[in-house]
Amino acid sequence: MSYLLTTIVFLPLAAAVICAMLPKDLAGAAKWVAATVMAFDVTLVGWLLATFDVRGGVQAVVDIPWVPQIAIRYHLGADGISLAMLALSALLGLIAVVASWKMDKSPGTYFVMLMLLQVGMNGVFVALDLVLFYVFWELVLVPMYFLIAMWGGERRSYASLKFFLYTLAGSVFMLVGIIALYLYSGPNNTFDIAELVRASAGGAFNGIQGWLFLAFFLGFAVKVPIWPLHTWLPDAHVEAPTAASVLLAGVLLKMGTYGFIRIALPILPVAAKAWAPWIAALAVISIVYGASVAFAQTDVKKLIAYSSVSHMGFVMLGIASGTAAGLDGAVAVMVSHGLVTGLLFLMVGMVYERTHTRQIAELSGLSSQVPAIGGILAFASFASLGLPGLSGFVGEFLSLLGSWQSTLVPHWMTVVAAVGVMLAAAYMLWMVQRVVLGEASEAVSRISDITAREVAYVLPLIGLTVLVGVYWNSLLRFVDPAVQGIVTILARVV
Amino acid sequence: MRSYLLIAPELVMLASALLAMFADVLPVRGRRVAAWIGAAGAAAALVIALAVGPGSVTLFGSMLRFDSLAVFARAATAGLTSVYLLWLAGNGASVGRTREATTLALLAAMGAMLMSGARDLVLLFLTMEAATMPAYVLIGFDRGDERGLEGALKYFLLSMVTSLVMLYGMAFLFGMSGTTSLDGLRVTAFGSLGLIAAVLTIVGLLAKLAAAPFHYWSPDAYAGAPAFSVAFVSSVPKIAGVVALVRVVGVLGPQVRGLTDVMLTVAVASMVIGNFAAFGQKDVRRLMAYSGVAHVGYLLLALAGGTEAGSIGAVLYAVAYAVPSMAIMFVVAEEGPTLDDMDGLLSRRPLAAWAMLVFLLSLVGVPPLAGFFGKLYMFSAALDAGLVWPVVLAFAFSAVSAGYYFGIVRSAFLGQRPRAVRVRSTRNRAADVAIAICLLATVLLGLLAGPMLSVLGYALR
Repeated sequence: MSYLLTTIVFLPLAAAVICAMLPKDLAGAAKWVAATVMAFDVTLVGWLLATFDVRGGVQAVVDIPWVPQIAIRYHLGADGISLAMLALSALLGLIAVVASWKMDKSPGTYFVMLMLLQVGMNGVFVALDLVLFYVFWELVLVPMYFLIAMWGGERRSYASLKFFLYTLAGSVFMLVGIIALYLYSGPNNTFDIAELVRASAGGAFNGIQGWLFLAFFLGFAVKVPIWPLHTWLPDAHVEAPTAASVLLAGVLLKMGTYGFIRIALPILPVAAKAWAPWIAALAVISIVYGASVAFAQTDVKKLIAYSSVSHMGFVMLGIASGTAAGLDGAVAVMVSHGLVTGLLFLMVGMVYERTHTRQIAELSGLSSQVPAIGGILAFASFASLGLPGLSGFVGEFLSLLGSWQSTLVPHWMTVVAAVGVMLAAAYMLWMVQRVVLGEASEAVSRISDITAREVAYVLPLIGLTVLVGVYWNSLLRFVDPAVQGIVTILARVV
Repeated sequence: MRSYLLIAPELVMLASALLAMFADVLPVRGRRVAAWIGAAGAAAALVIALAVGPGSVTLFGSMLRFDSLAVFARAATAGLTSVYLLWLAGNGASVGRTREATTLALLAAMGAMLMSGARDLVLLFLTMEAATMPAYVLIGFDRGDERGLEGALKYFLLSMVTSLVMLYGMAFLFGMSGTTSLDGLRVTAFGSLGLIAAVLTIVGLLAKLAAAPFHYWSPDAYAGAPAFSVAFVSSVPKIAGVVALVRVVGVLGPQVRGLTDVMLTVAVASMVIGNFAAFGQKDVRRLMAYSGVAHVGYLLLALAGGTEAGSIGAVLYAVAYAVPSMAIMFVVAEEGPTLDDMDGLLSRRPLAAWAMLVFLLSLVGVPPLAGFFGKLYMFSAALDAGLVWPVVLAFAFSAVSAGYYFGIVRSAFLGQRPRAVRVRSTRNRAADVAIAICLLATVLLGLLAGPMLSVLGYALR
C-alpha cells in the first residue's frame, strides 16, 4: 500500500480547490498556489523515478475496493511506460503553469481548470482499473473545453465544442467496450487490467476480440488522433491558449496511444495482430497526410498541429508493429513529441505574445532581432524533424526499425513512412527559413528577446531533448522492461 | 395499527399538506411559512421512511409492501420534495400562492410514495392518479397565462385518456387472473390477449413518464408552465413511475411473450425522438422536456433487459436524473426560461453557473457524477441481457446529447450579451442552499453508490 501515486494524482486537486476558494482580489495568488503544488508534484515524480526498480514491474501500487458490488477498484500503479508518461505529464503541467504567469483574464478560474486537467492527465497514466481509467479519461475533457472556450482565440466556441464532442463520441464507444470486457471476463467479473489480461490469455474474449477492439479503437483513435478522425486537432490547437496547446499536444494526445499500449494490445492481442496492417496503413496515411498538409499552412501553430498528426502516426506505426523495437520507439516518440512539440508551442506562444501574429508571412528574421527566441525555435524544429542526437530521432528510428522487423506490417509501408521523415525535414526547414532567417519583418522589428522566466521554463525541455537524444537508455531503461511484457503477450497468440 | 405505523411517512406528508394549506390561520405569518412547513414535513417523512426501513409485510390486505426498492424510491421522493420546498421557501415571493404550490407538491409526493409500494392494480391506479392530479394544477398554476392553461389542458386530456386505457388493460388482467393483486396475476394461458392487456396497462405509466410515442404533452405543458412547476412535475413523480413500471413489467414480463420487445421499441423510439427533437430548442423548458423523453428511453432500455439488475439500475437512474433536472429548473425559474436568459450567468452568479455545468454534465453521463454511474449500472445490465445494439445506440446518444446540453453551457459561460434590466431578485439564502444540496447529491450519488447498491441488492452476476 503506497500513497505516493494517490498524492501525485490528487495534489493538483487540492490546488484547484484552493484556487477556487480564493477571494476575487486575491485571484493573482492562484498562480503561486498552482506553481508551488506542481513543483511539489514534479519533485514527488522525481523521487518515484529515482527509487523506481526498472526490473520490478508495476510499483507504488494502491488497490482498494471502490464499488465492490460490481468489482470497481481504486487501483493505481506504475510500470516504466506509466512512469515515463507521468513524468512528462507532471513536468509539462508545471511548465504550463509558469508559462501562464501573465494570465490576467479571471486567473483564479484559469488555474482551477489547469489543475483539474492535471488530475485527469496524471490519473490516466497510472489507473489500473478500467472504470477508474475512464473516470480520469473523461475528467480531462471538461477543463480542456473551458481552457479553449474561455481563454481561446477567435473561433474558440466552435473549436472547443468540436473537441469536446469528438472525444466524447469516441470515448462512449470505449465505455461499451469496457462494460463488455467486464461481462465476458469470466466467473469473477472484473474491471482490473491485469486480471483482464489473464482472463484474455485464458480465452475469455475469444471470438469477440474484433468487436471489442473496434470499441476501444474508436475511443483511442480520436484522441491520438489518427487520420481521418483528426479534424478536431488543428481547430483546437489554433484556438487554444499556449499552455492548453502544450498540454493538448504534449499529454492529451498520448492518452490515446497509451490506451493502445496499456489496454488494447495486452487484453486483445489477437485482434490487435489481426488489425495491425490496417492500423499501420492508417498510421502511414497520418504520417504522409499530416506532413503534406503542414506544407500548406500559413499559421505556425496550425503547421505544428498538422506535424503532430504526422508524428503521432509514427507512434501508431510502432504500436502496430508489435515488436519490442517498435513499441520502444512508440513510447520514445510519445515522450519526445511531448517535449519537442511542447517547446515549439511555447516558442510560438512567445512570438505571438510579442508580435500578435502567427502568420508565417508576417514573421521573418527572428534570429536577427531576437536571437535567443529564434535559436530555440530552430533547435525545436531540428528536434522535431528527427535530427540524430536529439530526442526526435530515437523514437522515429526505433519505430521504423520495428515496423521493418515486424511480420505484421508490409515493408512498403515502412518505406512510405520513411518518406514522411523527409517531408518533416522539408516543411520544418522551410518554416525555419521563412520565420527564423532573413530580414526582420515589421512585426518582428521592435520586439524584445527572451526573459529569465521564459528561459527557466524552456530549459528543462531543451535539456531533456538532448539527454534522451544522446543517451537513449535514460528513457529506454524504464520503458523497455514493460514493453517486453507486452511483446511476450503478443508473441503468445498466433 | 401496525399498518398505519408503516405508512407513517405518507401520513406525515398528508398532515404537512393540510397544515400548509391552512398556514394562513397559524400564528406565524408570512408568505413562506407554508413552504417551510412542507420542507420540514417532507424531511421528517424522509427520516421516518429510512427509520422504518424495508419490510416483507404486506399491508392492508395485499395492497402495499415496502421492500428495499420501494423504501429507496419513497425516501428519494420525500427527500427531493423537501429540497424542492426549501427552494420554494427561498423564492416564495416570486412564485406567489406558495401555500397552494406547497400543498399540491406534498399531495403529489404522497401519492408517488404510496405508488412505489403499491402491490395491487387498484391501488396502483389510485396512487398514480393521486400523484398526477396535483401536477395538472401545478402546470396550469399561472391562471392568467393562456399558454400555461393550454399546456395544462393538453396534459390533463392526454393523461386522462391514457389512464382510461390503462384501466381498460387492468380490467382484462383482472378478468384473466381473478385478482387485482400484482403478485397473483396469471395471464400465460391467454396468449396474445395477455400481451394486449399488458401493453394497455403499461400505456398509462409510459404516458406519465413521457415516453415516445406518448410524449406529445410534455414539451407543450412544460413550455407553457412556470419553471418552478416544471422543476417538480418533470422530476419527482417519475421515480415512483419507474418503480411502478418495474413492478408491472416484473410480473408480466416473464408471463407475456413480446412485452420486452414492446418496451425495447418504446425505449429506442424515445431515445431517438427525444435526442433529435431537443436540438435547436431555444426554450430550456422545452429542451429539458425532450431530453426527459430521451432519458426515459434509457430507463426503459434497462427494463427491457428484464433482469433484476436492470430494474434496480433504472430506479437508481431515475433518481440520478431527477436531482439535476430539478436543480436546472430551479436556475431556470430564477433566471428566465430561454437560452438567451442564461447569457452571462457566469458573471452574474458564478456559483450557479458552475453548478449548472455539473448538472448538465451529469445528464450527459460524464464521470464521476451520478448520471455516469447510473448509466453504467443500467447499461451494464442491459448489455448483460444481450441488448448490444440498443446499448451502443444509447451510449452514442449520450454523446449526442452533449451537443444540446452544451448550448446551455455556451450561453451561461460564453454568452456576453448584457441582459435587459430585470426586477431585483427576491431570492434568499434558502434557494441557494437547495441548489447546493442538489449539487452535492449529484456528485455523491455517483461516488458513494456502493452502499446504495448493496441495500438494493444490485448484483450483475
